[in-house]
Amino acid sequence: MIGIRVATKSTTAERTKSAAEPGALAVVCLLAWLLPGAGHLWLGRRQKGIIFLLVIPFMFLVGLWLQGRLFPLAMSEPLVFLGALADRAIGTPYMLARMLDAGNGTVIAVTYEYGNTFLMTAGLLNALVILDAFDIAMGRK
Amino acid sequence: MTASHFLIMVLFALLVSIVFATLMRDTAREQVRTGLAMFGGFVAVAYGLGWLMYPFPL
Repeated sequence: MIGIRVATKSTTAERTKSAAEPGALAVVCLLAWLLPGAGHLWLGRRQKGIIFLLVIPFMFLVGLWLQGRLFPLAMSEPLVFLGALADRAIGTPYMLARMLDAGNGTVIAVTYEYGNTFLMTAGLLNALVILDAFDIAMGRK
Repeated sequence: MTASHFLIMVLFALLVSIVFATLMRDTAREQVRTGLAMFGGFVAVAYGLGWLMYPFPL
């Protein structure tokens, strides 16, 4: 049992060490952005990775179900622009929603603002997850 | 579609608590404890603020 634990730890440590190179760091951050939790899974943090992989896209789906809107990158409206950045921070789920023509938002729906909040928060949480993966890859955690 | 405002708030608090607790703690036991405390705090504060705002008209 102890042997297995040691082997697992050394494997994680080796991955972390190798990920400290700039190219590998970029790969970890890109993976973490593309798919919530993928960065953690890549770094051997399986439990955390699976939780992020399930919870964050689910939150994004709830936002779509609540008829929230995926905002356009409109520089003329700073708050909308920030909301659009938050929406895009979730990566693949955003792209899939766009491809499926979801996230147009229904302004008159009672749940419209709730939907926006879920969509943006899912993206912002993924931004935190990306930073956490970066810290792990740098050996800070 | 009928959606309860309270239930949406509870779901939001639950999902955010899970992610924060997972980010902040490393062991499953700590994550559950932190997540539950955070979830309870979110719901309690939101419920309290809701009642505080009750006397004020829109």
